[in-house]
Amino acid sequence: MIDSLVARAQRSTLYRSIFRTPRDDSPTARALTAFGNVFLHVYPVRVPRKLLAVRSTWRLGSISAVLYAILLVTGVYLMFFYTPAVTMAYGDMQRLQTAVGFGQLIRNVHRWSAHLMVLAVALHLVRVFWDGAYKAPRQFNWVIGVALFVVTLAYSFTGYLLPWDQLAYWAVTVGSDLVHYVPVAGGWLRNVLLGGATIGQSALLRFYVLHVMVLTAVFFLLMAVHTWRVRKDGLSIGDRLVPLTPHTLPVPPAPNVPTVARANSARAESVRVRQMGVVHAASAEAHARLPDDEVFTSPHMLVRHQVVALLTTAVVIVMGVLFDAPLRDHANPNLTPEPAKAPWYFVGIQELLAHFDPLVAGVLAPGALLFLLAALPYVDRNPARLPSARPLAMSLFMTLALVAVTLTVIGALFRGPGWAFVLPWEHWYFEP
Amino acid sequence: MSPTRREALKTSWMIGSGLLAGAAAWTTMEALAPLANVEGGGALPLLPPEAYPEGSATFVRTGRLYVTRAKGELFAISQKCPHLGCRVPYCAASGRFECPCHGSVYNLAGEHISGPAPRGMDGYRVQIENGRVVVDVSAVVEGAPLGERRFDTPAGPGECRDADA
Repeated sequence: MIDSLVARAQRSTLYRSIFRTPRDDSPTARALTAFGNVFLHVYPVRVPRKLLAVRSTWRLGSISAVLYAILLVTGVYLMFFYTPAVTMAYGDMQRLQTAVGFGQLIRNVHRWSAHLMVLAVALHLVRVFWDGAYKAPRQFNWVIGVALFVVTLAYSFTGYLLPWDQLAYWAVTVGSDLVHYVPVAGGWLRNVLLGGATIGQSALLRFYVLHVMVLTAVFFLLMAVHTWRVRKDGLSIGDRLVPLTPHTLPVPPAPNVPTVARANSARAESVRVRQMGVVHAASAEAHARLPDDEVFTSPHMLVRHQVVALLTTAVVIVMGVLFDAPLRDHANPNLTPEPAKAPWYFVGIQELLAHFDPLVAGVLAPGALLFLLAALPYVDRNPARLPSARPLAMSLFMTLALVAVTLTVIGALFRGPGWAFVLPWEHWYFEP
Repeated sequence: MSPTRREALKTSWMIGSGLLAGAAAWTTMEALAPLANVEGGGALPLLPPEAYPEGSATFVRTGRLYVTRAKGELFAISQKCPHLGCRVPYCAASGRFECPCHGSVYNLAGEHISGPAPRGMDGYRVQIENGRVVVDVSAVVEGAPLGERRFDTPAGPGECRDADA
């Protein structure tokens, strides 16, 4: 009964005008699922079989994207109950947690997703470095990725102030006071960021607008370019199918279409179509050579991404049920809590600040690190991708990463009042 | 040789776009610049000078500052640490300002003793008018450079930093 109704609906003109792809199991139908759908169009029709293994990418980019979607949804919920005014914000948070149905849970999920996203994006960066996927022709997409990392941190930092509790107020005080050590324009920059010499109403409103609007616009723009370039350049894991020669990518078009591809007329046609601007000739060539190493995106990749999305969502919901996001006392400019720590992803800088001059530790060191990170694909000209074939880049990067992790762990867990050394199992002074 | 029409138009476009970008940047900068301090500022009249004896530090809530006296001299010291902006509490046990965030220590005159701060604590000009201490909170006076300690007073026996919060 229901089956026949569904079948009848699927034959209707209305249904077929919306879903124009045949739904049978033929290769054409599978290809068209990805090809003929505006949303699934971010995928290629086929993906390298290797991509199906979790360890190919650890799904870190997908996890970041899913977390971002969760943050958008929960963020919109929160906006319904929040007023960015110093007289209202804290009370709104209390009301959200005590009076609004599922308010506490939504806030928890938003907070844990935000922390996890910083982590996921950072790990995604490490994974891409590890696989050498920032090398030609993907240099600029790495730069966009670094920019997305910065935007993620900015999101987290601006959001940190909004609850207007002691944790928020002092973490952001310490964080934003770093800005005024920037040479020449530092004082002016901080004034523009905060709208005054100290954190007050202007700062709260500015952080709010940055958090919900400005950063969102920038993020969408960068994310569109990032995804588009991944799609255009082909997946880096597919590159390994062709012998890699230094600085040959991208391969010049038409005359160099490989003979293998030319022999197979149908495949040559598909290569030609790709070269009309959908995908780089190089990755088209890779596809042409070893067609058996590929599978259809639909359903193989789609199913895996759905599992990633479901698992990620499940994890943050479970975290939200188990752990409440912290809300301390109302912000009090006359009482600095001991110790006052920056958000965890900046606590490494704070630890560095205890040892070096603020200009060095707070501005020059992070600035140089960020610049080096962005310039990496242009500095590292070694075409090799395998970690074992590029010991210098690997050891430098992993050393810096290790230093950053160590500083963060020391700052977050081993520091107490007056930034004195404490043991985390004796005194716990870390609040996420 | 006079430019062709194409060149002239191209140049005009570029100049026009440049001016537009400049105007946008200027507008943004002006709009985002902090407003003048609406909370007043200017002169903050306090108690007569006898109310601030030698070796004392009195917190003035309205000005978010301390009035201290060291070696006979009156000081108005901003509570904000010049390092990273934490509020620096006064520790009566040690007679020092001890910052809870990164452990900078200052003497009663706000001069830097130890810790990562780049200078002494910032302050304001102090005057005696009609028998009362008046602090000019409209302009911040930057703290003394590192190493300059003209108003050191002996430290007390205790310290506050290691106390559990």
